Amino acid sequence: MDVLSGPVAGVFRAPDVDYHAFAPELVLVAVLVAVLVVDLVLEGRGRRLVGGLAGIGLLAAMVPVLTLAVDGANRSMVGGAYVVDDFALVFKGLFLIAGYVTMLLSSDYLADDDYYEGEYYFLLLSSVLGMMVMASSRDLISIFVALELLSIPAYMLAGWRKRDLKGNEATLKYYLLGVFATGVMLYGMSLIFGITGETVLTEIGSKLQGPGASLPLVSLGIVFVIVGFAFKISAVPFHSWAPDTYEGAPTPITAFLSVASKAGGFVALMQLVFIGFLGRDDVWQPMFWVLAALTMTVGNLIALRQTNIVRMLAYSSVAQAGYMLLPFAVAGDLAKGPGAAMGPMTTYLLIYAAMNLGAFALVLAVARKTRSGEIASYGGLFEYAPGLTVLMSIFVFALAGIPPLGGWYGKLVVFKTLLDANTPWAIVLGVIAAVNSVIALYYYASVAREMWMRPVPDGDTTPVRVPAGLTAALSLCAVATVVIGVYPQVVARFGDLAVFSLLP
Amino acid sequence: MLLNQFLLLGAVLFCTGVYGVLARRNAVLVLMSIELILNAVNINLLAFGAMHGEAAAVASQVFALFVITVAAAEVGVGLAIVLLIYRNRTSVDLDQVDLMRG
Amino acid sequence: MVAQNIAFGVLAAATSLAAIRVVTTRNVVHAALYLVVVLASVGALYILLTAEFVAAVQILVYVGAIVVLLLFGVMLTKATLGEDDQLDNDQRWLGAVIALFLLGTLSFVLVDAFGDDKLPSLEGVSRATLEAQRGSGAVGDAIFSTFLVPFEVVSVLLLAALVGAIVLARRD
Repeated sequence: MDVLSGPVAGVFRAPDVDYHAFAPELVLVAVLVAVLVVDLVLEGRGRRLVGGLAGIGLLAAMVPVLTLAVDGANRSMVGGAYVVDDFALVFKGLFLIAGYVTMLLSSDYLADDDYYEGEYYFLLLSSVLGMMVMASSRDLISIFVALELLSIPAYMLAGWRKRDLKGNEATLKYYLLGVFATGVMLYGMSLIFGITGETVLTEIGSKLQGPGASLPLVSLGIVFVIVGFAFKISAVPFHSWAPDTYEGAPTPITAFLSVASKAGGFVALMQLVFIGFLGRDDVWQPMFWVLAALTMTVGNLIALRQTNIVRMLAYSSVAQAGYMLLPFAVAGDLAKGPGAAMGPMTTYLLIYAAMNLGAFALVLAVARKTRSGEIASYGGLFEYAPGLTVLMSIFVFALAGIPPLGGWYGKLVVFKTLLDANTPWAIVLGVIAAVNSVIALYYYASVAREMWMRPVPDGDTTPVRVPAGLTAALSLCAVATVVIGVYPQVVARFGDLAVFSLLP
Repeated sequence: MLLNQFLLLGAVLFCTGVYGVLARRNAVLVLMSIELILNAVNINLLAFGAMHGEAAAVASQVFALFVITVAAAEVGVGLAIVLLIYRNRTSVDLDQVDLMRG
Repeated sequence: MVAQNIAFGVLAAATSLAAIRVVTTRNVVHAALYLVVVLASVGALYILLTAEFVAAVQILVYVGAIVVLLLFGVMLTKATLGEDDQLDNDQRWLGAVIALFLLGTLSFVLVDAFGDDKLPSLEGVSRATLEAQRGSGAVGDAIFSTFLVPFEVVSVLLLAALVGAIVLARRD
């Protein structure tokens, strides 16, 4: 058989590429290759330079995101498999900013110890690139590949403290469970592909509205896909990796995983559920109901008895994922159509990103002095670091949802969605969520009590020295948290934008 | 040939892989079990591709190629992680990798 | 058709038996070798499904590279080369129950959905037509046009995996 001179030779047409639409990703690819080459040429002498280059690159990629937003047109490429719309742009912006804050957190952390630095930034940028692609991916193959690009660098970054046994454990658990979850998700995708014969989500969506969509096989495929992503967003009962990985990984990476990686999972879920699986809300709605209820309750109850601040924040971020799942659980009952659930989810994710990144930045700042992650080590923080104490109080009370700090607005829109649905199940879920908010207030407040009321454990009241990068990250997150709390319209606007224009 | 003969074989491979992931203690053996799952996925994809006509046939082959490529990257990374752990504690027994609890 | 069904029967038997041995054998090296049997038979099944290029890649990448990597993993972690009773954990029976339950569900659901559906017969279709519709050339064209984005993403992914794996695995 002669393949070269076969009948297909010569019919290939190069695809038309809309370079403006791909510009954010292309800038990021250029920067990550530049980081690798500069690090190689300078052989570790230009550490600051590499970090600066990576940071500037992330900001540079923001420019085309903004020009695309100003332009405003929905760009749909390769038959709808890759779409740049407002939804994608809102999340691309979030991923770039979260990546930049992680970069700010990392620079001093890496300099303190003998870590590989150029490769660290390279992997971080690769993971952000995966998230950027994820925000635009509207077919099964792109979603799978983007998921892997955002996950695989993250598996390795989790183990960056190579000689630390907890770091080793963090990376191994994250890797094995992540790869297993990907396998389960792929099996589900293969079933969905088998029923519909399509990989593009809009096509799958229209086929799953039609006859044959009620097959148990479709339900099973949807369940497998959602289970796969439930690992990614650390929803109970698929959360077991999260606390161990968060504790063992370098703290900047923990911040990155708990915000950006989780948001990446939510973006993929929203695209799959609200475009592909829209017609089968009888399957995913009860599933998300159970996931949301379990995730909130278990996350909060275990967070109550943590003594380590990173583990507490890990369980708190598990619980926060539960609140974000709430709109999914009632999406099918909304009068304005399931798409109306996307605005609240996006709003919550954006607010959560600001407050959670801030909380981890503060943990990093305090750990520079105390060298400890125990909540008890925060005793009397107010006596020697009043500024940090005020900031940490802002972040924990924002996470708890106390007005006028950012978090309350996220909770408000989510609860409002539950009320809009107005079914018995939605009300029950609302009650569970409200009880959970009260439980959560207890452990968030206990951190504040430690800082404001308790004595300094070892009597050492030398001030904490916070380097410039961390200060910048802290102020960025604090300003965002407070401004969103006072003027929630800012973030509500983004939430409204992030509803697919192509929804029926 | 029936479509289901391929799909059922895929189901057997998938379930065998799931059993391996749950039952094995050695990290390298868990990796092998995950490869079984990925092969089950590829059998499904190609069988469905043969079912749904030429566009789906091409898409399924491309999908399968991406799965194989990503599997290679995953195994490379997994081996690096396993080596890292072995160097620090001279064991790849997953039951022993359990410092953190609660 | 008969020849194809016989080929399928032989390959399916080899695949399932070897797969079960992969997850039950007490010898790590044997597990890797059984995995070769699984992967090669699955590759042959791809040919039955008219996916020659994927079959070639399966042999080259899976059998040629991935199994070798796994064997390196076995070697470098000094796994016991003979029988080893420490390979399974206490959840073995639970795992078996879950796997069997999953298999039962999947079989029921698959039979429910596709019953006796036959794969479309390709008899009478000329080799040239098949090649043009779903051969290596068509797959290549698709990768570089319709699936260009995932292709580029995978290239970055492989680079990232390479760089990261070297950092983690090197002695320093």
